[in-house]
Amino acid sequence: MVVSERRLAIPNNPIAGILLAIPGYFAGVWLGTLFGLTDDQNTGVILGYLLATVAFLAGVGFLNYPLERLFGWQVIPITDPAENRGIGRFFRLSLDHKVIGIQYMVTILLMLLFGGIGAMLIRTSLRPFGNYLVPLMIGARRMAFPRLEALSFWVVPPAAIILAAATFWGGFPTGWTGYPPLSEQAGQGMNSYIVGFALIAVALVTSGVNMLATIIGLRAPGMTWTRLPMFVWGIFTTSILGLLAAPVLAAALIMLAMDRTVNTTFFVASNGGSNYLWENLFWFFGHPEVYIFILPAFGIIMEIVPHFARKPLWGYRTGVVGLFGVALLSWFVWQHHLFVSGIAPVLRPFYMLSTELISIPTGIIFLVTLGTLWRARVWFTVPMLFCLGFLFNFLIGGISGVYLSDVPTDVTLHGSYFSMAHFHYTIMGGEIFALMAAAYYWLPKMTGKMLSPMLGRIHFWWMFIAFNSTFFPLFIVGLLNMPRRVSSYNPALVGLNRWVTISAYFLFGSMVLFAANLIYSWFFVARPALANPWHARSLEWQVPTPVPARNFDRVPVIVAGPYDYGLPNARPVADLGGIVGVTGGG
Amino acid sequence: MVRLLIIWVILSAFGIVAALQLNYPPYDQSIQGQDQASTLKLLTVLATPVFIGVVMMILYAAIYFRRTVPELVDGPPMLGNTPVQIAWVAISAILVLFLAVVGIATLSSENVAQAVGQPGRAIGQSGGQTGSGTAGGSGSELHVQVIAQQWYFTYRYGDYGGVETTHLYLPLDRPVELHVTSLDIIHSFWAYELGVKADANPGVDNIFHVTPQKTGSFQVRCAELCGLWHGHMADSSGQVVSQSDFDTWIAGQQADFNTIGKVVPSYAPYYFPEPKLKAG
Amino acid sequence: MLRRVSLVAAGVVIVVIAIVAFVGLFMLRQPGPLAGTTTKLHLETVAALSDAVEWPRPNDPHPDWVGYLPTTTWHVPANSTIQVQIDQEDGASGLRNPFWGKVFGIEGGTMHVKYFDDKGNPQEGDMDSIDPTMAAHTFAIPDLGVFVPLLGVGDTAPPGTQNIITFSFKTKGPGIYRWQCFVPCAAGTLFGNGGPMSTIGYMGGELIVT
Repeated sequence: MVVSERRLAIPNNPIAGILLAIPGYFAGVWLGTLFGLTDDQNTGVILGYLLATVAFLAGVGFLNYPLERLFGWQVIPITDPAENRGIGRFFRLSLDHKVIGIQYMVTILLMLLFGGIGAMLIRTSLRPFGNYLVPLMIGARRMAFPRLEALSFWVVPPAAIILAAATFWGGFPTGWTGYPPLSEQAGQGMNSYIVGFALIAVALVTSGVNMLATIIGLRAPGMTWTRLPMFVWGIFTTSILGLLAAPVLAAALIMLAMDRTVNTTFFVASNGGSNYLWENLFWFFGHPEVYIFILPAFGIIMEIVPHFARKPLWGYRTGVVGLFGVALLSWFVWQHHLFVSGIAPVLRPFYMLSTELISIPTGIIFLVTLGTLWRARVWFTVPMLFCLGFLFNFLIGGISGVYLSDVPTDVTLHGSYFSMAHFHYTIMGGEIFALMAAAYYWLPKMTGKMLSPMLGRIHFWWMFIAFNSTFFPLFIVGLLNMPRRVSSYNPALVGLNRWVTISAYFLFGSMVLFAANLIYSWFFVARPALANPWHARSLEWQVPTPVPARNFDRVPVIVAGPYDYGLPNARPVADLGGIVGVTGGG
Repeated sequence: MVRLLIIWVILSAFGIVAALQLNYPPYDQSIQGQDQASTLKLLTVLATPVFIGVVMMILYAAIYFRRTVPELVDGPPMLGNTPVQIAWVAISAILVLFLAVVGIATLSSENVAQAVGQPGRAIGQSGGQTGSGTAGGSGSELHVQVIAQQWYFTYRYGDYGGVETTHLYLPLDRPVELHVTSLDIIHSFWAYELGVKADANPGVDNIFHVTPQKTGSFQVRCAELCGLWHGHMADSSGQVVSQSDFDTWIAGQQADFNTIGKVVPSYAPYYFPEPKLKAG
Repeated sequence: MLRRVSLVAAGVVIVVIAIVAFVGLFMLRQPGPLAGTTTKLHLETVAALSDAVEWPRPNDPHPDWVGYLPTTTWHVPANSTIQVQIDQEDGASGLRNPFWGKVFGIEGGTMHVKYFDDKGNPQEGDMDSIDPTMAAHTFAIPDLGVFVPLLGVGDTAPPGTQNIITFSFKTKGPGIYRWQCFVPCAAGTLFGNGGPMSTIGYMGGELIVT
């Protein structure tokens, strides 16, 4: 095969991406004015967003490799991670899962800082840990498809910018459910919703298939399914859901985009469509989707607790069954969002039962965690505190979920502040507390710096109290007749609402404290983290800090489970070859 | 362990007694609302010992299983306990199935089944249903159409010449069949004290049965995000009144309605006048 | 070490106190009484803001939207009678719910309308309802029970004419009442309720009663 000496001239960095995205956007708008069927600019804006995203990805360098192969030009490899340890690697396309993990982490932190748009993107907030840790935990040197992994990260910044752009158009008035016909009546901001969420769907699918392939295919020798860390199981189950659910969202979004641009009427009743179509498609995606972010959280809790309890996970197989049970049942519950919408009455008992059944596998997660804690010698670190906080919050979230699953009570509670309090207890009290546990636990490995435990403790108690003080009153507010997304309400509830508002600012203050802890610990004190500060058994702690570019000098051979604390004759988790000085193989 | 159990029983007993004292919304202005309130009470009574038990376990672990020595020590290598696991799953399964059976039973008892909205007919179908044909229709039912529009609810009384009103008045102790529909986008009709919530879908007749059993006012709200004035789409002037008061009120409304009544389409349970798609 | 920690902690505390003070001082404060309250409301409705002669809004981002002029935030005193005059110069687009062709909640139950009839002759009279298909907009304050349809300018009227609608209504206690239009008059949006119907400052706003 003749390889041409010609080289592709496209530079590969985000600045080039942004420089290409701007003309891309205007080209789309121009095309829209040429071909748009409606006199609003929906066609142009949607095309603009899409072209800008493609141009951005091209500028970042995603087209280089396919184009080089296509034209038979010389392939310029993306710099080998081992040769590139500078700060610059975080600002350009990288195929190193650790760099992508950090890129993700910083992006997520920035998005949380800018608040509002976090609402949707919070769903991606556990991804950085997945990207960074999964290969390390299963003894792999990389993800199965590094280019795909990079893509699943690099579509997130355009999605964030596009969603943020909605504010310039007056936002989208429908909230995250995007119910048509309101979303078809809405102005330009709705286009941001369509394209932004579609990009998130792309990220979910690509990272889902990549994680599955990695976990199935790249486990080190000896990493049997029963030695897989629970966090990896959490990522595994969540990836199944992401891979299968996100395409449904994408399909619904395409229909919505067509209704808005080329005058189809999928969701317009007067022309033969139906708003029920969207409601079903959206929640068929939407309910598995809420488990997409809670399953990794379950994984994190069951992962961290044994290391600090210094005990084996109590009922490993049962815990895995619990994760799969949640993942499986999550496909059969979506119509509980539609109990009062006028669905066929015969369906209600089924969806009521399937929804209540989810409390069985969820209960298993609690059992496994509490069983692990029982008679343990608990080392009370900050991650452990957050795990216990998670258990408390998720307990309330889970129990209130049963109230909502019961059809008669749902008639009163549906769409009220009660349901808002419920899902904040599961998402914020659940996922975000697990995220904090993960941050305090794994950031030392990822950044090489310990976080201040004293600030961490203050952070935990502050956040825990402020969170409960913010969201518990909302159960009462909801029971006392206050629907969601309302600015005027019963005057009797003014006092409670003020309490909630002030608590919410305190809750925000706890986030400021977390940011302060990061800055303080990284830049002012810089207490370097040991390779294994928690004396944990699992594989990711057996490699040095900072993690070598290729993770492992030699493919490790796994010889024991990650949680075999206190077992007589327990061997180290893995034979790491180079590290313990085995010379074999020359 | 036994000590824990005793404390749990005592705390749960207190909790359940407290839960029984509470007055649960949506109270008792309608038969359906009362059913919902009692289900809510049942759920709270069942949830109390579960909540107390798990919180006790978390706290107990946090307090008593703390490491007391400075150096790291491993706990006892317990790998699991099959009978305990089976018992835990069995108990949660029994609780869940009990709840489901109770829920389905209340659901299939006539009142609540009708009170959660029924499916509309196929889109675009017009005329048709006379309004009395649904389950439990005794002929004495009052037919009220709830018309949601951005951003107000209006009401039409099918049995009174289709008179349209700006507030909802209902007579005492008479079963009501609400036909909830929308002229534009999705709204949700929520009459809080009556225990009524039904989505108003464009081109769909969503039926909801309710029987008021106490006079007094109630609040009406939209419970599905519907745009700019969603938060103001409310009316606190709903009234349950005696039959004679109702007759007086409706006669006044009919007199008012006379002029405009000539140009309003005659009453039909399915109401979706030809819309102006992309008006202007 | 401890000094640094306490510095950071003090910084965080100051930030939080600042936030609380901000909330307490600005976010939760009720709007006080405003000067310039009036018992007369003189308004104009136009088909497009760029058509406005009396109260032009040159820098409006949406010159082609329908709107109420000069403003959509009205300050009025509590428990008093408000006299309203609306110079209505938009054509009819028709009511989605014909019921709103009737007048509700105003003094005497009728409004006074000056308009042009089918033959192009000027007319005036008291009305308690209008033909729903002839409505151009409505003046509606649902929480006060006020609903007034505004007759559209007919095709036979001389160009540039206005229908003058006058009526009065009573306010209740202090508070913020939304008002809106019930004619789906937002051209180009689904069911005519997007754009100017869904944006404060055009076909909706607040009646601030102090």
